[in-house]
Amino acid sequence: MSQNRRDFLKTVAAIGTSAGALSALSPNKVKAKSPENLSEERMGVLVDATVCIGCRKCEWACRGAHDIENGNIQDYADEKVFETNRRPDYDNLTIVNRYESSDEKLSNVKLQCMHCDHPACVSACIVGAISKKKNGSVVWDTDMCIGCRYCMVACPFQIPAFEYHKALDPKIVKCDFCDERTMEGKLPACTAICPVEALTYGKREDLLIEAKRRFKNNPDRYYQHIFGEHEIGGTSWLYIADKDLAGTVFPKLDNRTAPGVSESIQHGLFAYFVPPVAVYALLGGIMWLTKDKKKTEGK
Amino acid sequence: MKVTIKILLLLFICSLSVSAQIQSLAKHAQMNIDCKSCHVCDTPTKADPCLILCPRYKLEVVRHSPDEGPDHIIIDKIKVEKDLYKPVQFSHRLHSEMSLMSGGCSSCHHFNPPGNIVECSECHEPNRARTDLSKPDLKGAYHRQCMDCHYSWDAKVECADCHELNSSETESVRLEAMPSKSHPKVKEPEKIVYETGSDEGDLVTFFHNEHISLFNLECTDCHSNESCAQCHSQKEKVERPILADAHENCSACHDTEDDCTSCHMEMERAPFNHFKSSGFSLKKYHSDVSCISCHTAGGGFTGLNKNCISCHNFEDEDFDHGVTGLTLDDIHIENECADCHTETVYSKVSCDTCHDEDITYPASLPGTKK
Ligand code: SF4
Ligand code: SF4
Ligand code: SF4
Repeated sequence: MSQNRRDFLKTVAAIGTSAGALSALSPNKVKAKSPENLSEERMGVLVDATVCIGCRKCEWACRGAHDIENGNIQDYADEKVFETNRRPDYDNLTIVNRYESSDEKLSNVKLQCMHCDHPACVSACIVGAISKKKNGSVVWDTDMCIGCRYCMVACPFQIPAFEYHKALDPKIVKCDFCDERTMEGKLPACTAICPVEALTYGKREDLLIEAKRRFKNNPDRYYQHIFGEHEIGGTSWLYIADKDLAGTVFPKLDNRTAPGVSESIQHGLFAYFVPPVAVYALLGGIMWLTKDKKKTEGK
Repeated sequence: MKVTIKILLLLFICSLSVSAQIQSLAKHAQMNIDCKSCHVCDTPTKADPCLILCPRYKLEVVRHSPDEGPDHIIIDKIKVEKDLYKPVQFSHRLHSEMSLMSGGCSSCHHFNPPGNIVECSECHEPNRARTDLSKPDLKGAYHRQCMDCHYSWDAKVECADCHELNSSETESVRLEAMPSKSHPKVKEPEKIVYETGSDEGDLVTFFHNEHISLFNLECTDCHSNESCAQCHSQKEKVERPILADAHENCSACHDTEDDCTSCHMEMERAPFNHFKSSGFSLKKYHSDVSCISCHTAGGGFTGLNKNCISCHNFEDEDFDHGVTGLTLDDIHIENECADCHTETVYSKVSCDTCHDEDITYPASLPGTKK
């Protein structure tokens, strides 16, 4: 427990550092937990938005793999959902959004937890319920989760969702990189079902090579940047598309690892998803924000 | 002596075992394929051929007309336990016909060394969990091939548009309809007036219908490398793209270097009329003839003589008089041309070289008219 307590204090300090504009503590001194765990062999997924056709079969499969009622697969062809910009939530660990990539073209992009190499959520969790595994997955222990929702605020991609609908013992939920399936040697459910293989599962380092190979072979097709290669210190899920996803689909993020949560909160979350109200208080402000976010999501 | 024969025989047998490889090497070397299409290094060896990954954009040497390919293909290579869908019935001929306007066979058969047609499954693994990530698995490859076009023109394309549900009771009608299926007739514009902004004359009036029906151009003569999305677009309105080099399509027949004013004018031009322009009517015998079979000196379309012999060599032994619409009978076929055609204007005929005055043309015919 002492470990968790120390983490908690570090996190608080980190938030305080940037939010309060106190520059005494250099961000580098406050490290997210577990980068030392990072394995060269860690897995990832390359999402190619130029290939995704927006069929949402991944949403169906993901729900099925997580015991969430997923209904009839054919109902997912309904295009109406694309009218609103959705976010992953407790009911949909992943969602597909449609965006306008050019005057003539509509593209699609699947969103879920990015499985950051230096996850801010892990640092933010005061009880240490979330951890980054050697294989790249960022998973959490439901029994340990106390429902404080700090991870929700910390995550630069606004991924962890809260079971607001549950009166009793609501918990945090998010994409777990299909931890159970991959431990059994299966592919993550979404990557297994994707008809066009817009999601390529493999070793992160191989995926980076593959992404660059696609850039080289087909320079006109791509905006030559792998989102997630360096952003906030790198993520397991990597994105390539025909336009810059930073600032549109994703927040614009620094390449520095989210030091605890400091940088990413300011640049990512607040700059993009949440009204930039004065968030210069510490925890009280954060709690207030998560409530506010619930509304912005339009759940 | 016997020893020499034995050695030779041994050598021969050895050579057989490697002949396959040498053969393919020799073939490749002859085939005008750049070594760099397949090998990354300068001196590939047998031990290290340094082959590049599937050269998607480089190698396609098998070509044939749509009719030579299969009419349809049943795609049933991907099977899972609980199949939701029936095998896909793919209208191959229809697609290959359409591909003539958009990149040809290689738009799908992107890798095909000489020899047989390479099936997708020869390169694309059926297994998604694999180490070589450089090419999509078979399911991904199939779907990408289709969706690269189908999605780009209609974001609403649904699975059931290609896949019939296994649960569907109705008998498939696709297969029967397939042989007769072709791309619906394209509504072609009659004329397009381009505002070119050129000093030589702003307006270029392009009569699309003339080029098809009068000049007998095939669609693919001009439209050879267009993407389907040029006409079919996700969005309602399709703007015709500005031609990168507007002269490119015209210059195959017209002199776009020196002769500007034939096309560039200050006003819209009237439709083309061969008789008005040249005094020679195409109507009777020449309406099916392509321009360049008479106007052989590329570029200009002037300088031909109305006289038949400026193009036709009637003195030729093989000349078949039937092409004029009149098949000569056994007696007249032995005549020299000049016996009847005393002048070089071949529409004029005189019978009096041989006959009395009571036999005249066309009252009496030297054969049968079509
Ligand atoms: S995307 Fe958010 S929830 Fe996922 S690992 Fe990164 S910080 Fe944690
Ligand atoms: S990896 Fe698993 S949990 Fe994550 S989005 Fe895909 S199916 Fe859902
Ligand atoms: S299953 Fe694949 S193609 Fe379909 S929406 Fe998901 S990522 Fe896109």
